[in-house]
Amino acid sequence: MLKINNLTAAVDAGQKTILEGLSLEIPAGEVHAVMGPNGAGKSTLSYVLTGREGYDVTGGKVELEGENLLDMDPEERAAKGVFLSFQYPLEIPGVPTMTFLRTALNAQRKARGEEEMSAPEFLKKSRALAKDLKIKPDMLKRPLNVGFSGGEKKRMEIFQMMMLEPRFIVMDETDSGLDVDALRIVADGVNRLRNPDRGMLIITHYQRLLDYIVPDKVHVLAGGKIAASGDADFAKKLEAEGYDAYAA
Amino acid sequence: MSLDSNQLPTRRDEAWKWTDVRGHADGQAGLSAAGRPKFTLPEGVTIAEVPRDDLDTDTPMAKLARSFGGKVWAIDVPAGLQPSGPLIIENLNRGHIRIRIDIGKGAKLSVIEHHAGDSGSFTNLDMTVTLKASAELDRTLIHHDPDDAMRVVTAHITAWNEAKIVQQALSFGGNLSRLETRLAGMGKHIEAVLNGAYLLDGKRHTDMTSYIDLTAPDCTIRQAVKGVVTDKSRGVFQGKFHVRRPAQQTDAEMRHDALMLSDAAEVRSKPELEIYADDVECAHGNTIGQLDESALFYMRQRGIPLGQARALLTEAFLTEVFDDMADEDLKISLLEKIQNWLAVT
Ligand SMILES: Nc1ncnc2c1ncn2[C@@H]1O[C@H](COP(=O)(O)OP(=O)(O)O)[C@@H](O)[C@H]1O
Ligand SMILES: [Mg+2]
Repeated sequence: MLKINNLTAAVDAGQKTILEGLSLEIPAGEVHAVMGPNGAGKSTLSYVLTGREGYDVTGGKVELEGENLLDMDPEERAAKGVFLSFQYPLEIPGVPTMTFLRTALNAQRKARGEEEMSAPEFLKKSRALAKDLKIKPDMLKRPLNVGFSGGEKKRMEIFQMMMLEPRFIVMDETDSGLDVDALRIVADGVNRLRNPDRGMLIITHYQRLLDYIVPDKVHVLAGGKIAASGDADFAKKLEAEGYDAYAA
Repeated sequence: MSLDSNQLPTRRDEAWKWTDVRGHADGQAGLSAAGRPKFTLPEGVTIAEVPRDDLDTDTPMAKLARSFGGKVWAIDVPAGLQPSGPLIIENLNRGHIRIRIDIGKGAKLSVIEHHAGDSGSFTNLDMTVTLKASAELDRTLIHHDPDDAMRVVTAHITAWNEAKIVQQALSFGGNLSRLETRLAGMGKHIEAVLNGAYLLDGKRHTDMTSYIDLTAPDCTIRQAVKGVVTDKSRGVFQGKFHVRRPAQQTDAEMRHDALMLSDAAEVRSKPELEIYADDVECAHGNTIGQLDESALFYMRQRGIPLGQARALLTEAFLTEVFDDMADEDLKISLLEKIQNWLAVT
C-alpha cells in the first residue's frame, strides 16, 4: 500500500539532513510501528509523508497505491486518504470543531468527486462517535483544540480520524499525554479501524501503546534509516534494552 | 462657490498624517456640492431640514460640510420611543452631507448606514448624534466604495447619563476613506462598544479613527478593531481615550489587530491613552501579524484546500468584532459580505 524507497529529507532550508535513505513498505491491512530515540526523525518522517513545508525531500520515492505522493499538495494527499494524527495538534482559533471537521470531510469528498455528507448525517455520525470516545458534545462546539488539555487534543485527533475514515493512517506519539483509560479508548477506536484495505504507521517512543494496538511489524528508526525490524515482541526487547545498539 | 483645496486636511496635520485628503481630492465629483441622502424612518421618528446645527463640530471636514452641505437633516427620536425597525440611510454617494440625530431620554435608535459612492466621487458626511439620559444607539456602518471614490465620515456623538452605544463598522475601503467617531461622554455610567473591521485589497485605503473623551465617572468603553490587508492596500487605525480627572472608575479597553496577507500591504496604527483620573482601568493592545503557517498546514492535512483554509482562519479572526450585535439578521448579512470578499480575494 505505502512504499517508501530510499527516502532522504532535510530540514532547516536543506542544511540539516534527517532521513538518509529510509525504505519501508506497509502492505494494506497491516499495522507497523516505528520506534526510535528522541530526535531520530520520526516526526520528520510523518511530515514528509504529509507534505509539510520546510521538510524537503532530497531523494527517493514515496508511493501510495502506486501513486507518487511527493508531487501532491498536503490537501491532495489528505483527499487520497492520508491522515496524520499530530504529535502536537494545532489550535484553530475561532473555528468550531464541528465546522472544521465538516469542511474537511466535504472538501475531501469533493476532491474525490463524491457527494457531500448532509448536515443531519454528519451530526448523527459525529454524536455517536463522540459518545464512544467519551468526548463531551460541548467540546465539539468550541474552537478546535483551543484550551483543550493535551489528552483532549489527542482524543480529538482520533475523533477526526474516525470521522474522516482515511485509507492510510500515521499516528505520531498519540499515546503521550494520555492516561490509561484514555489510552484504552483511543486504542479501541484505532483497532476498530483496522481492516484489510487500510494501512497504519504508528510512531511511538514507548512500547506501552503497542500492548493495546498490536502491530504486525516493529521498526527502529535510527541514523536516518530503518536500522532493524521485527515482530510485535521486538518492541518489548527495544523497551528493555534501549536504542544504543542502533545508534548511527 | 467652489471648494478651495487648501481647506482640506493634509498629511501635515497630525490627525491626518496617514490619510492625505488633499493629495487625492482633485477632480473628484461632489467636492463642492451638497449630497442627497435617502432616509427610511421607523415609525415615530421625525425628520426636518433645518438651516443650522448648533452643535460645535469644529473639525476641518465639519467646516466644509457647513459650507457646502446646505441644510441639516435633523432627525428626532422622541423620549421613550423604542421603534421596532432601524433608521436606514442610503444614497451617501457624493457631496457634503450634514445629519443631526437627537435621541430623547430613554429612547432607542438603530441606524444602518450604507456608504457606497459613485465612481470618482467625493463624499463628506458630518453627523452629530446626541443621546439624552438612558438613550441607546445601535449604529452600523457598511462601507464599500468603488476604488476611485473618496469618503470621509465623521460622527460626533454626545452621550449623557446612562447612555448606551453599540457601534460596528464594516469597511471594504475605497480610493481613500476615513470613518471617524468622536464620542464626548458628558454623563455618568455610559457604556459604549465601538467595533470595526476593515478588509482591503488592491490599492484601497481605510482609516478608522476615534477619539473618546470622558468627563464623568463610571463609564465602560470596549473597542475592538480588526483589519485584513492584502495586495498594496493600506489600513489605518488611530484611537485615543482621553480620560479627564472627574472620570473616575472608567473601565476602558482598546484593541486593534491586523492581519497582513501580502508584503506590499501596509498597516499604520496609533493607539493612545491620555489619563488624568487616578482610579481607572484602561488598557490598549495592538498587533500586526500573519496567518499561522502551522495552523494552515494542519487544516490542509485534513483536506481543506489552502485558499479555503486561509479564508476560514481570516473569517474567524474578524468575526469576534460583531459578537455584540443585537440584530441577528444584520449580523449574518455582514458576515456574508465578509465571506464573499474572502471567496474572491
Ligand atoms: N522544522 C525544523 N527545523 C529545524 N530542525 C528540525 C525541524 N524539525 C525537526 N528538526 C530537527 O530534526 C531532528 C529530528 O526531529 P524529529 O523528527 O522531531 O524527531 P523525533 O520525532 O524522532 O523525536 C531533530 O534534531 C530536530 O531538532
Ligand atoms: Mg516526534
